[in-house]
Amino acid sequence: MSHFKKRSLAMSVVAAATAGILALSGCSSETGGSNNSGDAGASAITVFNGATGAISENWNPFSPTMLQPTQGVIYEPLYYYNLAAESEPKSLLATAFSWNADGTELTITNREGVKWNDGEPLTSKDVAFTFNMIHDNPALNTSGLNATATATDDKTTVLKFATSSFMQEPQILGNQAIVPEHIWSKIADPTTTINENPVGTGAYKVKSFNAQSYVLEKNPTYWEAGKPEIDTVQYISLATADAASAALIAGKVDWMSSFLPNLKEMISTQKNLSYVNTPVMTTSLFTCSDAALGCKGPQTDVAVRQAIFAAMDRTQLNKLAGGDFAAPASPTLLLPERDKKWIANPSDVEVPQTSDVAKATGILEAAGYAKGSDGIYAKDGQRVSLTVQVVAGWSDYISAVQVLTSQLKEAGIELKSVQLSYNEWSGNQTKGTFELTLDSIGLGASDNPYYTYQPRFNSSTTAKVGEDASTGGNYARYQNKIVDAELAKAAATSDEAAQKASYAAIQKEVVRDLPYIPIYVNSTLSEFNTDRATGWPTNDNKYAFPASWKSWDNGIVLKSLTPAGK
Amino acid sequence: MEQTLEAPRASAAAAVQPKKRQRRPRSAKLMAGLIIAGAIALFGILGPLFLGDPNAISNDTLAAPGNGMLLGTTQTGQDVLAQLAHATRGSLTIGVLVGAMAIVASAFFGIVGAYIGGWTDETFSLITNVMLVIPGLPLVIVISSYVPDKGLLLIAGVLALTSWAGGARVLRAVTLSLRNRDYVAASRVSGEKTWRILMVEILPNLMPILASQMVFAVIFAILGEAGLAFIGLGASGTWTWGSMLFYAQNGLALRLGAWWWFVPPGLLIAVFGAALSLINFSIDEIINPKLRDQTLAARKRWNTPRTKKLTVPGTEKTSS
Amino acid sequence: MRFYLQKIVFYVVALWAALTLNFFLPRWMPGNPVDILISKLSAKGPVTESTRHALELMLGTNSDEPVFIQYLNYLGSVFRGDLGVSVTYFPANVTDIIGQSLPWTIGLIGVATVISFIVGILLGQLAGWKRGSWLDNFIPVTTMFQAVPYFWLALVLLYFLGSRIQMFPLSGGYDVYTVQPGMSWAFISSVIYHGALPALTIVLSSIGGWMLGMRNMMVSTLSEDYIVTAEAKGLHPRRIMTAYAARNAVLPSLSGFAISLGFVVSGSIVTEMVFSYPGIGSALLTAVQSNDYALMQGIFLVITISVLGANLLVDLLYALIDPRTRVRA
Repeated sequence: MSHFKKRSLAMSVVAAATAGILALSGCSSETGGSNNSGDAGASAITVFNGATGAISENWNPFSPTMLQPTQGVIYEPLYYYNLAAESEPKSLLATAFSWNADGTELTITNREGVKWNDGEPLTSKDVAFTFNMIHDNPALNTSGLNATATATDDKTTVLKFATSSFMQEPQILGNQAIVPEHIWSKIADPTTTINENPVGTGAYKVKSFNAQSYVLEKNPTYWEAGKPEIDTVQYISLATADAASAALIAGKVDWMSSFLPNLKEMISTQKNLSYVNTPVMTTSLFTCSDAALGCKGPQTDVAVRQAIFAAMDRTQLNKLAGGDFAAPASPTLLLPERDKKWIANPSDVEVPQTSDVAKATGILEAAGYAKGSDGIYAKDGQRVSLTVQVVAGWSDYISAVQVLTSQLKEAGIELKSVQLSYNEWSGNQTKGTFELTLDSIGLGASDNPYYTYQPRFNSSTTAKVGEDASTGGNYARYQNKIVDAELAKAAATSDEAAQKASYAAIQKEVVRDLPYIPIYVNSTLSEFNTDRATGWPTNDNKYAFPASWKSWDNGIVLKSLTPAGK
Repeated sequence: MEQTLEAPRASAAAAVQPKKRQRRPRSAKLMAGLIIAGAIALFGILGPLFLGDPNAISNDTLAAPGNGMLLGTTQTGQDVLAQLAHATRGSLTIGVLVGAMAIVASAFFGIVGAYIGGWTDETFSLITNVMLVIPGLPLVIVISSYVPDKGLLLIAGVLALTSWAGGARVLRAVTLSLRNRDYVAASRVSGEKTWRILMVEILPNLMPILASQMVFAVIFAILGEAGLAFIGLGASGTWTWGSMLFYAQNGLALRLGAWWWFVPPGLLIAVFGAALSLINFSIDEIINPKLRDQTLAARKRWNTPRTKKLTVPGTEKTSS
Repeated sequence: MRFYLQKIVFYVVALWAALTLNFFLPRWMPGNPVDILISKLSAKGPVTESTRHALELMLGTNSDEPVFIQYLNYLGSVFRGDLGVSVTYFPANVTDIIGQSLPWTIGLIGVATVISFIVGILLGQLAGWKRGSWLDNFIPVTTMFQAVPYFWLALVLLYFLGSRIQMFPLSGGYDVYTVQPGMSWAFISSVIYHGALPALTIVLSSIGGWMLGMRNMMVSTLSEDYIVTAEAKGLHPRRIMTAYAARNAVLPSLSGFAISLGFVVSGSIVTEMVFSYPGIGSALLTAVQSNDYALMQGIFLVITISVLGANLLVDLLYALIDPRTRVRA
């Protein structure tokens, strides 16, 4: 009895639920099919910039937790630095700048005819106000700016520095949003405001916000005539790469930058999807290199580092761990394609792509190592056995370590790996308590090699093992007097030829010493849907760094787009 | 013994549902469960000895099953079958360790506390409640910060630590009710020792719960490890079903159609869990003869009226 | 009355212990929020030593107060309802973030848990009553669903029902493209539609546990003397099943239910990750990954209070349903 009755009840519940679901899916497919075209004729695109979970409103361009389009899309800098290709700074809110001879005074001419999106005009007073506010609020001063600014006339601003500051240039011109004085002078605490309804000069302004998604709309008073062309841009939040790939294939996202293995096959059936690969991060084995600073292990011997460098089969590493998207690295740690002009020695442009076991073993034997019965080289009873630390869960790095382990074994070098939590891994790096660690050399402020060499090789950015090296700094514990001196020389001049000479001297040292052993330049994949908008960066035209998570570049890309079919 | 009991039981079942196929005898359930679980355990114990290195890479990436690779390869050309064997060993180790630790702890805190009562109960209950509200996930992270290599044992320990409390809570509740029953009171009055009352009077009544909790503790441990691994916090450097799934998911195996990489670990967890449940179904019937006899007796008595009602569902409606 | 008083005092102590642990747990964790924030920033652009200095100033993480004073301040602010400022979502308040994400989690996972419990108990009761019936034999199948790793089941269902046949949406709590949140039917229906698949996976993977537990207790209870007595009195079989057997058999499940209700919050991490569902689980994951102490503590607090609250409720209910529990106290 009862089970009979309950079963039929249960069945009818299931039936009703299914019907409801079908009805819902039916009704939503009517509206959901053309998801991005609410108004007739209006163009809209959707961007996934890597946001996960709830989104918290924050349009404060000085806040570390600001929403990413704040920089570049809503607020603009004076100049735009394209890190994707060799290029000169592109004029945005400023049209000219000049340094005095000793690098203590920077004169900036701002663009005329620029309006804030509340209708007020941009003047040099706004520029001066922005830099003075940073100077007066240490909590905003993330770049260590030490300058006072004065507006000498309506379009000229002069920044005065205490010391020679040529190397502050990209930071000031390209990495600082200019804010309106008439708004920000009234904000009580610029560090904690979330700056609702931001007033910027950028191509877009805020239309609506909620914790799952926000929408930007075209700024009708934007200074560049005819731009932007896309009416609205929606930003969404997705939890995983899997969710992102599903959304991309379903046409729910027009622009995103996630690493998707086998991307080529995945989008091969869909004509509307394309991608561009802009490798910029040099994945390298960081070594704790200097025994004088307390480093321990075989890698403190330069011969071992050179042997590891020679024994790598980077073609296989790229195929198995890099998804076949990685580009060749340069032993100078610069980018072979973009930075060709900065690389002095043509043979240092690219690392060898195949392994040279004979060379590796030759280096070791010349340095007095002998192969033991276990097939591993040893010297003075110390086996060439190294431990590499890698972050648990970073699967491509873990794959790379597995591949390296088998490759180095061929050359008589034993590689062990330990997987750590991110916190522990990064703690070990800053403290120098590791033998090898797998990490990458990131983007600098501009393509000038100074921004790679100064933090990574200068002895002022390192510390003894057990003490903290500076953030993003010289984790390899590398000390070299020649490098220090040449870096100081390069910083004191704006003459490119003189800088080149300094960098050539530095490259000679670091290519030999290899405190960071480059593997490859890891890919940055950006995927686009061309159904709703065209004009995305391509491999032939990298007019901006195309990653959807990149500040500043986002604004350039969005205003370069045109609605599809126009 | 088994057989004599089985015969009337089967016929009773047949009488309830004359048109359906005869229920398999319960020993068949047990056998099926034992065989499946045993086979998986055997695979975990012996597999790693015969199959190669799960970390060995090759240039044959994401290959479908075949060509000497029974289950194909992963994104880095690793043999899925070899990984599966090592993963089975890892996951079973975690399951058994956690199951044993959790059941002992929950029985101790739940039953003993509730029976003795007073401050012992209050203290045990407090510990149980506090353990219940500690989120296991951050605990794993905290503990792992002290241990350089977050291995299998550590994860098992943490899972056990965070998994016994729920069972203890259930056992306490039932024990509270049992300890006031007449036959327990009678034993107490007649001067039985506490441990004897616990073992002889209380524990047998709790067997079905304990059995099902053991099943759940093992499954919970395996699933818990898989869940931790999925969000990137599993045992590092050890293969488990969870870590396999993590790498498969990271490689978007499912989306790329590499089912041979994504499906086997999940399926093995499910099959193993189902096998344990089958065993569990039989445990309560074997351990507790009173339960078995009574159920049979009850069945015989209730058989007739219930089948009669089944045929006339209309009469039910009026009576409700 | 003494019984209830004792219970409440006990829960206050338990709450205090949980709060104390809650305070110390995150403090024992390695790393600090500034490091994580810097590593996130360095992906977007260059960072210098001044960045660290500026962030430390902004977040005020350089606390020189002794731990004990921090602890007292923490207890004080918790009782004022002030959970501090989140580092990840700086300068947003933790209470705001929890307030924003909690309704999603309770709505989806809470409702799914309740559905799963009720249906599971009813089916388990039937299976136990009719041992050997088709329903009883069906239990291994449901237990198998329960033994499938939840995220695995969810991913497979999402792939087939979401990507392949496109019956369900792929991600999110509602259609962010066309619907604005509000008390409109369009929004509510969108929420239901987006919640259907996650809810289905939760019910599928958890119902087996309730069924099995209830069925085992039912079988156990059916051998009790009072069942025989009831039968001897000639009571209606369904009355025996519901009022006599099930009422007693459901007790352990009920306390299990209280626990699982409390864990709705922490159990939501994986669900919300797979379905990109907004909610407190994803907030917790973000907090853990960012060493966001304040947010973590806030979410732990929500978990703590919900588990304790659910337990308290069940303890009181228990005494009501099962008078024997009361006698002892």
